[in-house]
Amino acid sequence: MPEIRVTPLGAGQDVGRSCILVSIAGKNVMLDCGMHMGFNDDRRFPDFSYITRSGRLTDFLDCVIISHFHLDHCGALPYFSEMVGYDGPIYMTHPTQAICPILLEDYRKIAVDKKGEANFFTSQMIKDCMKKVVAVHLHQTVQVDDELEIKAYYAGHVLGAAMFQIKVGSESVVYTGDYNMTPDRHLGAAWIDRCRPNLLITESTYATTIRDSKRCRERDFLKKVHEAVERGGKVLIPVFALGRAQELCILLETFWERMNLKAPIYFSTGLTEKANHYYKLFITWTNQKIRKTFVQRNMFEFKHIKAFDRAFADNPGPMVVFATPGMLHAGQSLQIFRKWAGNEKNMGTVGHKILSGQRKLEMEGRQVLEVKMQVEYMSFSAHADAKGIMQLVGQVEPEGVLLVHGEAKKMEFLKQKIEQELRVSCYMPANGETVTLPTSPSIPVGISLGLLKREMAQGLLPDAKKPRLLHGTLIMKDSNFRLVSSEQALKELGLAEHQLRFTCRVHLHDPRKEQETALRVYSHLKRWAPRSFWLGLGRSGARGGSHCASRQRPQGPLRAAPSRWVRDCGVHPHPGCCPLRGPRHQGAAGVLDLPG
Amino acid sequence: MDPECSQLLPALCAVLADPRQPMADDTCLEKLLDWFKTITEAGSSLLLLQENPCLVELLCHVLKPQDLSSRVLSFSLRLTGVFAAQEDCFQYLQQGELLPRLFGEAGPLGGAAWTAPTVRSGWIQGLRSLAQHPSALHFLADCGAVDTIFSLQGDSSLFVASAAGQLLVHILSLSMRGPAEGPPGLQADDWPACAQKIVGHIEESLRSTAAPQITQALNVLTTTFGHCHDPWTQVLWVQLHPLVAALLEKDPVPAAHSLVDLLLSVARSPGLSSSSCGLWETLAQTLSHLSPTQAGLLALGILKLQDCPQALRAQAFAVLLQPLACVLKATAQGPGPSGLLDSTSADSVTADILLPSKAACVGLLCRTLAHLELLLPLPQRPCPWPQAPLLGAAVTLLQLCGGSGSPASDEGRQLCTLLLGCVRVQRAALDFLGTLSQETGPPELVTQVFAVLLEYLRSPDSSPTVLKKAFQATFRWLLSSPRTPGCSDLDSHALLFLRELLPVLQKRLCSPCWEVRDSGLEFLTQMTRRWGGQAGFRHALLASEVPRLTEQLLRDPESYVRASAVTAMGQLSSQGLCVPPASPEHPGGQQSLLGELLHILSTDSEGFPRRAVMQVFTQWLRDSHADVVGDTEQFVAGVLQVAGQDLDWEVRAQGLELALVFLEQTLGPPRSHCPYAVTPPVAAPASPLTQALQPLCRVRLFEFAFRALFDCDRPVAQKSCDLLLLLRAKMASSSSLQEPRSSPDVASVEAALQRWRAGDQAQPLGDLEPEVVLAVLRSMDLEGLRGALAESSDHVEKSPQSLLQDMLATVGILGENEADCY
Repeated sequence: MPEIRVTPLGAGQDVGRSCILVSIAGKNVMLDCGMHMGFNDDRRFPDFSYITRSGRLTDFLDCVIISHFHLDHCGALPYFSEMVGYDGPIYMTHPTQAICPILLEDYRKIAVDKKGEANFFTSQMIKDCMKKVVAVHLHQTVQVDDELEIKAYYAGHVLGAAMFQIKVGSESVVYTGDYNMTPDRHLGAAWIDRCRPNLLITESTYATTIRDSKRCRERDFLKKVHEAVERGGKVLIPVFALGRAQELCILLETFWERMNLKAPIYFSTGLTEKANHYYKLFITWTNQKIRKTFVQRNMFEFKHIKAFDRAFADNPGPMVVFATPGMLHAGQSLQIFRKWAGNEKNMGTVGHKILSGQRKLEMEGRQVLEVKMQVEYMSFSAHADAKGIMQLVGQVEPEGVLLVHGEAKKMEFLKQKIEQELRVSCYMPANGETVTLPTSPSIPVGISLGLLKREMAQGLLPDAKKPRLLHGTLIMKDSNFRLVSSEQALKELGLAEHQLRFTCRVHLHDPRKEQETALRVYSHLKRWAPRSFWLGLGRSGARGGSHCASRQRPQGPLRAAPSRWVRDCGVHPHPGCCPLRGPRHQGAAGVLDLPG
Repeated sequence: MDPECSQLLPALCAVLADPRQPMADDTCLEKLLDWFKTITEAGSSLLLLQENPCLVELLCHVLKPQDLSSRVLSFSLRLTGVFAAQEDCFQYLQQGELLPRLFGEAGPLGGAAWTAPTVRSGWIQGLRSLAQHPSALHFLADCGAVDTIFSLQGDSSLFVASAAGQLLVHILSLSMRGPAEGPPGLQADDWPACAQKIVGHIEESLRSTAAPQITQALNVLTTTFGHCHDPWTQVLWVQLHPLVAALLEKDPVPAAHSLVDLLLSVARSPGLSSSSCGLWETLAQTLSHLSPTQAGLLALGILKLQDCPQALRAQAFAVLLQPLACVLKATAQGPGPSGLLDSTSADSVTADILLPSKAACVGLLCRTLAHLELLLPLPQRPCPWPQAPLLGAAVTLLQLCGGSGSPASDEGRQLCTLLLGCVRVQRAALDFLGTLSQETGPPELVTQVFAVLLEYLRSPDSSPTVLKKAFQATFRWLLSSPRTPGCSDLDSHALLFLRELLPVLQKRLCSPCWEVRDSGLEFLTQMTRRWGGQAGFRHALLASEVPRLTEQLLRDPESYVRASAVTAMGQLSSQGLCVPPASPEHPGGQQSLLGELLHILSTDSEGFPRRAVMQVFTQWLRDSHADVVGDTEQFVAGVLQVAGQDLDWEVRAQGLELALVFLEQTLGPPRSHCPYAVTPPVAAPASPLTQALQPLCRVRLFEFAFRALFDCDRPVAQKSCDLLLLLRAKMASSSSLQEPRSSPDVASVEAALQRWRAGDQAQPLGDLEPEVVLAVLRSMDLEGLRGALAESSDHVEKSPQSLLQDMLATVGILGENEADCY
């Protein structure tokens, strides 16, 4: 029974590290290869040993697809390709390919060199891994091999984020990665064809949330920053180099312009240029407004946002600084935080500990830092909310939906909603659990003109509304199927017709006359012998260039020659079957449903 | 447990027991468990529970019917297992009936929580932890856990199913370890009831007609023979062997992969004498029963075995070679043996798998090539090794994939159609071809090897990954080309090849794909490092456009390529190979390269090229490169000044590496620990240390090192600390050691360093006198600093106290801060 199997190794009822195995029509694809940044040991990577118990990963997996550059979706990639040993193709969009190594490199430096972790990938490994990447364009159908094809669609989550359709023959799966159904200041909304896949694998981070209006969130953010600056404070905004930072930059830039504010805004040195470079390079991935106005004014060339120098942190007066990294665990953002944390006029949007309310932090060297600054948490993440997810499901029209990248309880809610409102089966496997969906792929079969004509000659005109039976010999060659008449099959394959006759001697003790007895036996068998006894499907097959097809009589029930059967007093279930040549000959039925 | 943590624990347990309080993230419970494991490994669990009654209260609390998070329930099960691993603590928990309530029918096992895989996983892991002593075995038997574990082997979660299998092996092994009075007898009938039950279950599964059950049984046995090597395992194998062998009589053989794993695990087990158990016969039988796609892994496993009958090895090798023999047979230009396997033994079944379907053909060939690649470097590889036919097969495959093969037979043509443009086979064949370079081959075949490699390097259809592998294979074959033993020079054939290769490399350096340009540069660097001193190579290279193109790639838009170009140019320059033609635009080529690299160091926006420049400069200084020797002090001073300003800490760290080389060259290397080490002659400082330090002061090495000592990036500070400690060791050994003295200069430097330490590094130190440096060095607590720096930068955050505080601090605020993935 053909089926699609999906096993999350990560992102199954969690938001840790995305890694989903999909098996579709005999092809195996890994969707995302993320890292869990909460762990410092082996647990940070998915357990790849579950992909296959025997054999090499490269032989088992047909390809790996990366949806976007966030480390919870691509962080384990160099480990997987250079240390675990996957040597096959990796697909991602062009912007993801360009930005991915920057984030991987940043994380490597923190993990290996600052935390002193061993068994981590090197810079060279990141480069070697990126060399295995095949970059794809939006809406470009990429043939991974003769059967497997993939196609990328715009996901809107970050620059270069994509949804992927994976297709083998008539079966398909769509994987959304992370996506956003509402456009923002620099990216557009996710969009995909009504491709009606067998399965839609969608993220569900905000499965139960209907998010407040973006405008409110932005107003709140601007108000808080403005207030802090007005009272002479300094605002630290820890961000990741690329991604949501650009959205906030555009927001502040526009606000500063409108309000004619003079307080300087800085962005970590080097990163502005880098970010600008990528946004210019991939301008087609931004939203319509930015693309349209790009010629007159590049939105990423900011008037108010300047490159930051570490000496600026000591300058008196208000300022706003975007500094990396976003979690305040190292680097420039941490240095600035140390300087500014003691002043209650200042404000920061900061990492885990401070966020969780701790006001006294023990820093390196047993120094205790008292946090007097105002701390705010504001979410500008670009995930679809419940409404957006429902909208996408409606847009794609899948046969089934599978939820990943979300919390179990929230998924449960959304699952019910999808099943009730959209009448679509919904699944939410935990990590390590396999969801199996039976599929019924339609296999196209070419029918020879001769066979069709013969059927027509019998007065059976095609009727689009009625499926009907057509008898012939099915020939499989180079993965193509053709139905031809038995005679034509023999002719094409250059085979001689053989007839096998199976006989057995039965001693009958009957006092009646011989002819009378024979007639009684014939009547008895005619009445009781099963239909298949007469129809007995032949075994035919094809091997290499020399084909062997069954010689099958076009039978209605009891169209075999009973006279001969009676005469020989033997069993002749299958006149004209070619001799079988061993177990390699595959069976093929010569009957199929043919839509009129 | 320290008192601070003890104080925080009751509040945390209360939070965990409260179903209204969701946990911040799933990592904190894992980390909490890690911490408890550390504590219980170091001390008494019983004491821990007695001193912290809140822990038992938590375990009791999770049993109450409530809407508790499955994660907390799973955590509690695992935690209980960690505590109960110690027998006295196990008894303590048993007294309170806590264990049967948690792990028995009355616990989560019978409730709605059991539907969550994380709870089932916690249940198994809890039992895995507690099953450490005989009392645990009785408990498992009494609460019927073993039957539940049997059923969990078929769990919908791969993780749970796998853990269940491993737990069974663990319980079997534990029960066979026996009580204190000695292990059970070797007769299976004498085995403990628990072991008999497990073995009975395995037997039943092996007799089953359901493939999943057979797979489970085989997997449990594989783990058993892989981990347990006691005499009882031999008894077990003798008992189960007929059932395993009976699987081979089924068509198709069920759970073939698991069967292969088991047989190899048994064959590798030192506890089993293979000959007496009929193992070799079973292996031979399995080899002949399995299809070529399934048998390859078994064949490789057999060939890796240390002692194995020759006939079986020959059979296994034949299985491994069959697909390639078929390829050779199908593509042979004329009749006659291919040399790999005689034609009679080339199994037609393999041909049947190779030819009808592309997927099967590609899969089988890739697996075969990978297996042979793994086998080749092993000492136990088959002898004689059919190097020539294998080379022929690899070349043929590459030709078929590349479209240059012209087989005469129908089968050959069909193979050609299947493989044409197949990147997977190309990659596998190039890797294999590269590995084959460890051995030599007949000259005509080696010529063919170079020809096919050149064909791939030239082909516009070669993908970047294929090209990279082609470059790698080419380098390996060039390395293996010298005919004179001990001579590393390229022979005349290789040089002829090189003349054809360089124009191709030239073209590849202009490729629109950065991956190709980069692979080309890496290849060039490798070649130059190896043969840069050889006249033939130098002549060919200088006659080509390659050095000029490499120089142009210093300005490539892709930073990876710029970095590789820097490394390549550094290497070319070291070998005197990048002298540009004398022209008005390039007055003094070498000088212009130094300037260009300095320009990259100070202006390139990406870290990779700047890091590469620092590595080149360090190497140049080490090798006394002509440019550097001219005015070393000026060179070092200039580089350190630029590197000190760099935002990439790896560039600053590399600057310290350069400083260390300069310091060693000035003061002499550190005393070698190896008495046999050859120390190159260096100018030992005849003059007093202060005089020797003068050049270091002139290049402002100390300002650079002191600044790095307080660098916010730990590795830089660590490296600087090591450098200064080395210098201080030299001071101590120096005869010119002077008494410490204090002066206004020293005080001002020390005050400046204090400010630097506080983060204000704006003020420079100015010109330092050696005496001042020495005095400052003496007064610094460098050892203390090194100790502080040895701790990772997140050591505070990683502390258990910090973890508990974090978990407590998230209470009540989670609703406000929605999960936010950037």
